Amino acid sequence: MSRFRRFLRTPEAVAGAIILAALIAMALSASLLFPGDPQAIAGPALLPPFQDWSLPLGTDRLGRDVLAELFHGARTSLAVGLAAAAAALAVGSVVGTLAGFAGGFIDEVLMRITDAFQTVPSFLLALAFVSVVGPSLGIVVIAIALGTWTGPARVARAEVLSIRERDYVASARAIGMHPLAIAFREVLPNALPPVLAMSSVIVAAAILTEAALSFLGLGDPNRVTWGGMIAEGRTVLRTAPFLSIVPGIALVLTVLGVYLAGEGIVETTAVRRGLQ
Amino acid sequence: MSLLAVSNLTKRYRRGGKSIAAVDDVSFHIDPGETLALAGPSGSGKSTIARLVLRLVEPDAGRIEFEGDDFLALRAAALRARRARLQMVFQDPLAAFNPRATVARVLDDPLRIHGIASRSERPRRIAALLERVGLAAELASRAIHEISGGQRQRVAIARAVATKPTLIVLDEAVSALDVSVRGQILELLLDLQRQERIAYLFISHDLGVVRAVAHRVILLDAGQIAESGDARAVIDAPRSAIGKALVAAAPRLHGTRR
Repeated sequence: MSRFRRFLRTPEAVAGAIILAALIAMALSASLLFPGDPQAIAGPALLPPFQDWSLPLGTDRLGRDVLAELFHGARTSLAVGLAAAAAALAVGSVVGTLAGFAGGFIDEVLMRITDAFQTVPSFLLALAFVSVVGPSLGIVVIAIALGTWTGPARVARAEVLSIRERDYVASARAIGMHPLAIAFREVLPNALPPVLAMSSVIVAAAILTEAALSFLGLGDPNRVTWGGMIAEGRTVLRTAPFLSIVPGIALVLTVLGVYLAGEGIVETTAVRRGLQ
Repeated sequence: MSLLAVSNLTKRYRRGGKSIAAVDDVSFHIDPGETLALAGPSGSGKSTIARLVLRLVEPDAGRIEFEGDDFLALRAAALRARRARLQMVFQDPLAAFNPRATVARVLDDPLRIHGIASRSERPRRIAALLERVGLAAELASRAIHEISGGQRQRVAIARAVATKPTLIVLDEAVSALDVSVRGQILELLLDLQRQERIAYLFISHDLGVVRAVAHRVILLDAGQIAESGDARAVIDAPRSAIGKALVAAAPRLHGTRR
């Protein structure tokens, strides 16, 4: 448990962990604290924050409870961010491992496909994908993953290129292990640490991309999203700026929390590896 | 009939536009239960020959016959199956194992891949293998990085003998060990050879060790065979220039075990 203690000694990591814990608590408690539809009308329209304590953060243009929307929005942001990052890391590390380990023609083909994805701006790719297939939570996750798997793929390939020359890969071949088993049992797990180090940046980027898609009206229409809330508030930005500011702050804190906690984890594991 | 017959083996590498022969037209054979040593200075092609014989690297020319079959003609599954008969022990006992592996997993792999023992039978087989190489069966649950270098090399030998091979390539297998451990590992190797009639292709730069364990020796220089013959005869009275240089460079020739 010394790794956990070392994690706690890094102040930014602790700050990040607290923010993330609060966020996860928000997401988990959303339907407990705010049962029912967060998109239902709860009071008078455009009630400013801190006026009515049954609606602490006020209401939006249609009289919906902003605090309830914020809690339910945390769910979407976290779910999409984590799922998209997990998909991107999984696809990226598998593609990178196959390319690096197989080499030759397979490497060429896979890396040219990676290049093709990388040359298209990832946000445009997500935008195009969602507008063609239609907005739903799963599609948004795939759309974001489409634009972000190339980074992990390149890092995994570079790592695999060095690992495949190691003696333990030669000894796995010498005992007659199947090449795919070597790639995924011997090589991939050892190539993962630098790939996983990218995960905080990818989660943060995925949350922002989701918010941006929702802002443009391409999020899942049946779910509250912070991006969608900001878009809603934009129309009354002069008279009720809090409608954009509140979800905006939530978004900034989330991205910051993910990033700080991720950095903290990378830092502590790096120290650990340095000691060995 | 010899166990392994290598003829006209050649491997070239390109470096800076020039083609350099790492192994140049090398031929030799190993009989069952025999130890053939390959010795020579760094860069003489010893390790390349080891990797060629195991087909970890493909040769540019030449023939390798193993157990009477054309080893270079084997493809994919047939090659993987035949690898059970031909094993290798590497120089650095830490680099030769997946850093995440436990001792049990390392020994489980060959038993599983070659269908030597059923899942329920394997723990007992692993314990027996550990005991065979002089280690406690309890070591099985330890991670590879937790055990000592000498223990690791014993695990490497256990992995190599798990599939009951007829030939083991020992690529500087004792060079990285300290002197006292080296003697014990050499004893173990000689004991395994006596009991199971395993042949060794023993690659080393240490002529003292070669003289102690090898039946025959081949001295390599720049990828070519400089001299070959009975190990003691060659080392006691080298005729080639590289042989004389190697013997002169050896600090002292100890041990007359055999």
